[in-house]
Amino acid sequence: MNAPIQPPKWATRLLHWFCASHLVNDLEGDLLELFVQRVRTQGPREARRRYVRDVLSLMRPFALREKPGKYPKPASTQPAMIRNYLKIAFRNLVKHKMFSFINVLGLSAGMTACFLIALYVHFELTYDVFNQKAARIYRVAADVKTSSETLHYAISPWAMASNMQNDFPEVEAFARVQKETTLFRKGDLKFMEENAVLADSALFRVFDLKLLKGNPQTALAAPLSLVLTETSARKYFGESDPMGQTLLLGTESEPSMVTGVMQDPPVNSQIKGDIFVSMSTYTAHHDKNIEREWGSFGATAFVLLKSGADPAALERKFPAFMQRHAGKLMAEQQMQIGLVLEPLRDIYLHSSRTTEESGSINNVYIFSAVAFFVMLIACINFVNLTTARSVERAREVGVRKAVGAAKSALARQFIAESILISVIAFFLSILISAALIPGFNMLAGKAISKGMVHEIPFVACQFGVALLTGLLAGIYPAFVLSSFEPVKVLKGRFTTSLKGIMLRKGLVTVQFAISITIIIATIVMYAQLDFMRSYGLGFSKDQTLVVEAGPGRERDAFEATIQNYAGVRSAAASSEVPGSWNPQAYSKLENKNGEMQAGNMDVYRIDFDFTQQYGLQLLAGRAFSKQFHTDSTQSLMINEAAAKALGYRSPEEAIGKKFDQWGRQGTIIGVVKDFHFKSLHETVKPLTFRIIDFWNGQLLSVKIDGKNVKQTLSAIESQWKTMHPDKPFTYYFLDELYDRQYRADERFEALFLNFAALAIFISCLGLLGLASYSTVQRTKEIGVRKVMGASAASIVGLLSRDFLQLVGIAFVVAAPLAWFAMHRWLDGFAYKTDIRASFFIAAALLSTFVALATISFQSIRAALMNPVKSLRSE
Amino acid sequence: MKGTYLGEFEEVVLLAVAILAGDAYGASITNEIEQQMGRSVNLGAVHAALHRLEEKGLLSSRLGGATAERGGRSKRFFTVTMAGTKALDNIREIRNRMWSAIPKPA
Repeated sequence: MNAPIQPPKWATRLLHWFCASHLVNDLEGDLLELFVQRVRTQGPREARRRYVRDVLSLMRPFALREKPGKYPKPASTQPAMIRNYLKIAFRNLVKHKMFSFINVLGLSAGMTACFLIALYVHFELTYDVFNQKAARIYRVAADVKTSSETLHYAISPWAMASNMQNDFPEVEAFARVQKETTLFRKGDLKFMEENAVLADSALFRVFDLKLLKGNPQTALAAPLSLVLTETSARKYFGESDPMGQTLLLGTESEPSMVTGVMQDPPVNSQIKGDIFVSMSTYTAHHDKNIEREWGSFGATAFVLLKSGADPAALERKFPAFMQRHAGKLMAEQQMQIGLVLEPLRDIYLHSSRTTEESGSINNVYIFSAVAFFVMLIACINFVNLTTARSVERAREVGVRKAVGAAKSALARQFIAESILISVIAFFLSILISAALIPGFNMLAGKAISKGMVHEIPFVACQFGVALLTGLLAGIYPAFVLSSFEPVKVLKGRFTTSLKGIMLRKGLVTVQFAISITIIIATIVMYAQLDFMRSYGLGFSKDQTLVVEAGPGRERDAFEATIQNYAGVRSAAASSEVPGSWNPQAYSKLENKNGEMQAGNMDVYRIDFDFTQQYGLQLLAGRAFSKQFHTDSTQSLMINEAAAKALGYRSPEEAIGKKFDQWGRQGTIIGVVKDFHFKSLHETVKPLTFRIIDFWNGQLLSVKIDGKNVKQTLSAIESQWKTMHPDKPFTYYFLDELYDRQYRADERFEALFLNFAALAIFISCLGLLGLASYSTVQRTKEIGVRKVMGASAASIVGLLSRDFLQLVGIAFVVAAPLAWFAMHRWLDGFAYKTDIRASFFIAAALLSTFVALATISFQSIRAALMNPVKSLRSE
Repeated sequence: MKGTYLGEFEEVVLLAVAILAGDAYGASITNEIEQQMGRSVNLGAVHAALHRLEEKGLLSSRLGGATAERGGRSKRFFTVTMAGTKALDNIREIRNRMWSAIPKPA
C-alpha cells in the first residue's frame, strides 16, 4: 500500500506554534479526521487546501489564549529565583577555578583593550568639539599654484585677515595663531618656551578658551601683552598674582605685561600653548609691514562666520577677492593663490595639509577594527570554553530537567552565569585599564586620559557593553546546554554532536587567523622601520650635535672656541639640518630650454663647511668656497632632483645656469647627489642651497668624537654658559632629530605589538580550554593506546595534530589578508621594504610554537598519565 | 442580556450538537453542518462558535475517546445543557409565533 497521504507539515507546525497547549490536541485530531475523510471524498488536493484553510481559520483569540493554570506560575523575574541563579552561578565559578580563571582573564584582557582603544578613538573624534561655535569656525588655508606644481598650505598670506574682515560681512571674527619658540625671562628664570603662541585678540571670541583673569576683549589687543595658562602662571609667578606683572620677551628682552590668565586649553584642541602673545606684538611692533604682504605666508587663520552664513557661497567669492588685492603680485610671480575654507571639526582628522598636529582617520579606523577583533576573539573564547564544558554539565542538566526545570529556566541559569563572568571581567578590566592609562598615554604620545576618575561615562558604557557581551556570548552555550535530553544524558549515552565540534574548531580557526594577521602586520611594520633607520640617507648623521647657537657673529665666536676642543672634529652652521623644518622660496631657475622656470623650492641656508661636514657628494661643479667671495651673494647649489626637474639630463648641464631667488641673482655652481633631507615617507624633492645671511644660520652642527661624548658635551655646555649667561643651552643629536620623524610610525608599531601580543594571548587561552576539554574526552582512548604500547611522544603528537591543523588553516586564511593589508600600508612610504616570505614563515613558526606550547600543558600530562587510573573507572 | 442572544451560526451549531446527541465533536459537527446546509464551513468558525456557546453555558464538554483516524488524538465531546435546550425551545417558539402571524394569502 502507498504511504498514507499526509496533510501539509508546515500548517501543522503553524498550528502548534500559535495554538494554546490545552487545545492543540483535540483541534489537531479534528483536523486530521476531516482531512482523512476529505481525501476519500474530495481527493488529496482539495483535502490539503481545506486543511490549510481550517488551520488559518483557527487563528482566533480563543485558540491563542492559554488556559489559566491550576497553580500560580512563578514569575521568571522573581527576586528569589534571580538570587538562586546568581548563587548557583557563583558556586559553579568557584568549583571550576581554572576554567573560571581562564574565562575571566581572557574576557577582561579583551575588554581592557577595547576600553583603551575606545578612549583613544573618542579622544580623536572629539578633537576641537569643545568649541560651541565649532560648526561656524573654518580654517582659511591657501593653495599656491605655480607653473610646476600646486602646494597646499595650512597657513595663509599675512595680508588676508584684515582685508577679509573688511570685505565680507559674513565674517564675524578672525583669529590667527602662530606657534613660535620664544625666550622668556623673569629675573634669573629663563625658559625657551616651545609652546609660545602669537594670537589675535579675537582668540577668545572665536574659541571657547576660558579666561580666568583679565578682559577677553582686550587681553591680547595691545603689543607686548601676554596671556598665561594657569600652569605657566604658576611656573613663573608661583602663587602670587601674575596680572600686571612683566616678563622679558625674546632675545631683545622687551618688557611685556601679563594681561590675562586662562584655563589650560583642553588636550584635544588645535589651539594649544603655554603662553599666548598678542599678535600685534609681531604685526604692529616687530614687522610693521607684514600685514600688507600677500606673498608672505604665516600663521594659521581661523574665521568665525556669522550664524546662517553659507561657507560655500563665501568660498566662491574668494577668487575675485584675491584678484582684487593680490592680482598684480600673482601675475608678477606667475602663481595663483587660492583660498579654501576647512570646517574646524574636520581639520584634525581629515585635512592632509601639514600642521604641527594632525590625526589620521585611517588610524582611527584601524584601531577600531583591532578593538573589534580583539573583543571578538575574547567572546569566541568564552563561547568555546563554555560549550566545551557541556559534557561535564550534561548530567547536571539532566537531573535538573528530570526534577522539572523548564528549558527556559535552564537557559536563564546559564545566561546568568555568563553575565556574572563578564561582570567580574568588567571590574577586573577597569582595574587593569586604570593601571594602564599612564602607560597608554605615553605609548600614544598624547594625554588621552587623565585617569579613570575622569572617565565615568565611559565606565558606564563599558558596563553596558559587558552586560551585552555576557548575554550574547551566553546565548549559544545556554541554548546548547539547556536542550540536552535528560533521558539520553542520564543514561550516559552522551556524545557531542559533530556540528558542535566543527563550530568550536571553526571559532578557534577564526581566532588564530586574526592573531596571525596581526602578527604578520607587526613584523612588516618592524621591518619597514628597521629598513628606514638603516637606509643610506646620503649624508652622515652619526655623532653630530646640533646646537641652537643664534645667528651671526655670536655664533662664529662660539664656533671658533669649541673647534679647539679635543673632542670636536668639525663644525658647520646652517639654518636647516636634515629632519628639521625648512622654508620654501619662490625661485626662478633657468631650465633646459633656456627659460626661467618659476616655482617654490625647498631652501637650505648653509655655511662654507656644511657640504663637507655632512659628507654630501658633489656630482658636478664645486661646493661653496671662501675663495670665491661672490659665493655668498651670487651662487646657488642644487641637488640632483632639482637638476632633473629643470630638465637636465646630466648634472653637468646645470652648471653655470642662471637663478633668481630671494633677492639673489647669479649662477648655479654645483650639483649635489640626492640625500634624504626629509623622512623616507616621501621622495627626495628638488632642493637649493645658498650661503647664510648674517641674521640666520642659528643651528651649529658639531661633529664630535665617538669617545668621551659626555665630556665633550659638558665642555661645550660650560663654554656656552660663560659666553651667553642669559640664554639656555639648547641642543640635540642629529640622529635623534631625524628619527623623530618616525615617531608616529614607531608609536603605531608599539601599539600594534601590544595588541598582537594580546590577541595571541587570548587565542591561546581559548586553545588551552579546548585542548583540556578534548583530552578529558579522550582519556579512555589514551589509556587503551598506552596499554597497547603507544609511547608518550606518539600520544602528544596525536593530541597536537588536530590543533596544529587548525593553526595551519588559520595561516592559509590570514596570510593573503595580511599581505594585502600591509601592501596598502607600505604605499604610504616612498622607500619601502619588500614583504618577504620570511615574514610569513616567522609568523607561522611563532603561532605554531605558541599553539604547541599551549597544547602541551594538557597533552603531555595526558600522555604521562597511568593508564590504570583512566581505565579502572569503567 | 448579553449572554443569551444567539447568532445565526451559533444557532446552527447548537442545533447540530443536539442532532448528533452524544457524538458531537469538532469534526462531526462540521460534517453535519456541511451536509445539512450544503455549504462548506471552516473548522475555525465551528470551534469559535462552540467556544462561545460553552462560555454562555449552552454547551458542556468533556474529553473522550481517540480513534486511529485522528492520529490517536482525543475528541472533545459536546452536549447541550438544560439552558441550551431551553434556548432552542425559546427560539423555536418565537419563530412559530411569527410564522403564524403572517397573514395567509387570500
